[in-house]
Amino acid sequence: MFKSITLGQYYQTDSLLHRLDPRTKVVMTLGYIISLFLIRSFTGYVVAGALLAVAVALSHVPFRFIWRGMRGILVLLLITVIFNLFLTPGTPVVKFWKLQITIEGIVFASKMAIRLIFLIICSTLMTLTTTPNQLTDALESLGRPLTKIHVPVHEIAMMMSIALRFIPILAEETDKIQKAQMARGADFESGSLVARVKALVPLLVPLFISAFRRANDLAMAMEARCYRGGEGRTKMKPLVYAGRDYSAYLLFAGYFVLVIGMRTLRMLV
Amino acid sequence: MRETTAGLLYGERFLLRRFRFWHKDMIITKKLIHDYLKKDDEGNIIGRTRALDAVDLDVKAGEFVAILGHNGSGKSTLAKHINALLFPTGGTVEVDGMDTTDESHLWDVRQEAGMVFQDPDNQIIGQVVEEDVGFGPENLGVPTKEIWERVEESLRVVGMYEYRKKSPNHLSGGQKQRVSIAGVIAMHPKCIIFDEPTAMLDPSGRKEVIRAARALNEVEGITILLITHYMEEAIYADKVYVMDQGKVAMQGTPREVFSRVEELKAMKLDVPEATMVSWLLQRGGIPLPDGVLTKDELAEHLEDACPAAFDAEQAKPAQAGPAPQEVTEQRRSASVCANEKDEASDADAGSGIEIRNVSYIYNEGSAMESRALDGLSTRIPHGQFIGLIGHTGSGKSTFVQLLNGLLKPSAGSVWYDGQDIWADGYPRRQLRAEVGLVFQYPEHQLFEADVLTDVKFGPKNLGLPDEEQTARAVEALRQVEIGEQYYKASPFELSGGQKRRVAIAGVLAMRPKIMILDEPTAGLDPMGRDEILGMISRMHRERGMTIVLVSHSMDDVARYVQRIMVMNAGNLLMDGAPHDIFAHVRELEDIGLAAPQVTYILDKIRARGLPVRTDCLTVEETAEEILRAVGRTKNRD
Repeated sequence: MFKSITLGQYYQTDSLLHRLDPRTKVVMTLGYIISLFLIRSFTGYVVAGALLAVAVALSHVPFRFIWRGMRGILVLLLITVIFNLFLTPGTPVVKFWKLQITIEGIVFASKMAIRLIFLIICSTLMTLTTTPNQLTDALESLGRPLTKIHVPVHEIAMMMSIALRFIPILAEETDKIQKAQMARGADFESGSLVARVKALVPLLVPLFISAFRRANDLAMAMEARCYRGGEGRTKMKPLVYAGRDYSAYLLFAGYFVLVIGMRTLRMLV
Repeated sequence: MRETTAGLLYGERFLLRRFRFWHKDMIITKKLIHDYLKKDDEGNIIGRTRALDAVDLDVKAGEFVAILGHNGSGKSTLAKHINALLFPTGGTVEVDGMDTTDESHLWDVRQEAGMVFQDPDNQIIGQVVEEDVGFGPENLGVPTKEIWERVEESLRVVGMYEYRKKSPNHLSGGQKQRVSIAGVIAMHPKCIIFDEPTAMLDPSGRKEVIRAARALNEVEGITILLITHYMEEAIYADKVYVMDQGKVAMQGTPREVFSRVEELKAMKLDVPEATMVSWLLQRGGIPLPDGVLTKDELAEHLEDACPAAFDAEQAKPAQAGPAPQEVTEQRRSASVCANEKDEASDADAGSGIEIRNVSYIYNEGSAMESRALDGLSTRIPHGQFIGLIGHTGSGKSTFVQLLNGLLKPSAGSVWYDGQDIWADGYPRRQLRAEVGLVFQYPEHQLFEADVLTDVKFGPKNLGLPDEEQTARAVEALRQVEIGEQYYKASPFELSGGQKRRVAIAGVLAMRPKIMILDEPTAGLDPMGRDEILGMISRMHRERGMTIVLVSHSMDDVARYVQRIMVMNAGNLLMDGAPHDIFAHVRELEDIGLAAPQVTYILDKIRARGLPVRTDCLTVEETAEEILRAVGRTKNRD
């Protein structure tokens, strides 16, 4: 029943954000992350937060899905905040035992927390509104300049999309082989760590063999359908920027100018 | 000209189209030789196997050609030459006038000669149906707009247009193969090579694919080369080649080839059921022509041969006609047998496996929840040979996994020899030794460096001492007839049928009392299939082992089992002796199953007025019955 698993965390709905060109989303996400590290003041974070709020609202994705993406790194976030809180030197506010909390610590830790939270919300939002397939296309298209320095961009993208297609199949196969070995008395659940790792051999060997067999078959099927690398290939679904993409870029450029402007102003003052 | 063409009947138009390039050569191979080379780690050649030995093939444009032969006969190697995936060691291959070794035409050859492979999963590249169909045209550099047109057109031809936005992972095997066919059509080929496209499909999927292939040939005029080991798929061909040991052993029209029954049998190949029956009848003294291919032909020729035995009056109530006395006798004895069996097993009630009101739900509580079993109850007493039949998705695979505790029922209970297997502390690993389960394609679970060690895996898990492990492994390998010379061989060097037998030995070595085999013949050629089925039936006969044989082929099951369970929509639809089950042909057809082929042959003959029983299970039984009905039952042979 692994056939029904969905990879990534794409949330199926129709919204402006879903309809944006995946390249626009990738570029804006990267730009936004850079902007988060340029911002120094709390006012700056208010602006960044506002933009993010608009994006979340436009995406039509229920907030609990975004929250689900955050839950995973909550611990990491907490540790970072605590370390920064206690280990930043400066004017002490609270002091107990050998530890102290400084004003600088509070400011630094909260900025750090905001930065991390925004960063995660932003990238989660991108994966929620873009299928893995579109992402692969966007990366291939954006990475094209790299072919000049002999990076096999098309091949990497092709590998990614084949991996995406075969992960559910191999997951199902894993389940089947595991059950077949259990039917032969194999035990995957109990015993010491070493015993359990050893128990994986009868699972992994057949799985690798199967993956190689499939890879072989697939390569032959692709050749039979005249696949010969990215050169001279046309696209069934080429990426084309629409009006909304230009508006999005424009809006984002405005935001970026604002962020830089605020930063320079602060430096000047 | 267009008007005249439009005015013609469909059939005439089709003839015209065929006529247009009737004499044009599509595929020509001359003295084609291919050697597979075995190389050592440094790349030195240490051995060669001749896969093709001076093969001459001549396929004209617009023809439908079938290539038959069992696994290892060289037929797939031949197919890969036509698509320029392999190149000749000797001789030549020409596709539409182009030599495949001419590199300047490599991509033209691959575009003109499309190829559909065996495994539906391993040839689909796209994550969405339409993207996969577009893959070929993309590679050819077709402009975007035209790709969309071609994709739509191709998907419509194979009837998969409604599925264009679906993920291939959610399609059935037959549907996936149709997508692959569409992917080839979108490249506008002149000829399509089907390399065992139906070997991994269930009967309904098989029909879908063959129907699509025939339509392409008849409507679109595409040359078809069908490689198969299902004889009934070859009877529609214009020409049949039979391959054996890398050579063309026979060629001709289906009628010519299939009239040589003895030679085909010597090559361990099947012949269509109707051909087989008529051949047996010929030997029984009825003057029938050679090479009868279909049940209609058989019935017609039979009436011509012995008109006196046919009675037009009898013909009317074909199905529910008053059965001859003998039949009722036979039937009664069959059901009495079944009853006796029941009583006998009632005596030691509680032994064997008992399923009480079991349901199983996948992904319970999630959006993808699906109910695979729904309140199923049954009993599998020790000593029976049971056939479990159902189409893909009827719940039979889920059902067998419940029998040895690999799956835990969502509701209901499973009992083995009177104990609830899901009670606390029940030794379920022990249960798995007693109830052996062989999965589909069990050879995929082999992993050890040599055959013997792999078979010892089960006994080792049971914690047995080494000598005992070896003793059991050797015993199991003997049962599946794997000779000692293979014990130290790598399991991956064996042939398909041998690998499967080794994998079955891996379960047998645990000395199970009950053996469950999920589609043990899937993907095997007739020879491999007969070997496996014969072996299973011997295990039952000689060792009294309880067998549950899961299959979607009625023909496989009919001749061996005592009891048939028919599954549909997560429950048992029928349960009884084979004769009783096949009496319900209509109900079986309603759920996408079929009675054995011979049932239909007898049905046809009966409808023409020969009073025959229709509940025979094998071709031999069928021939006997027809001979009896026409009054020539004695002195056969």
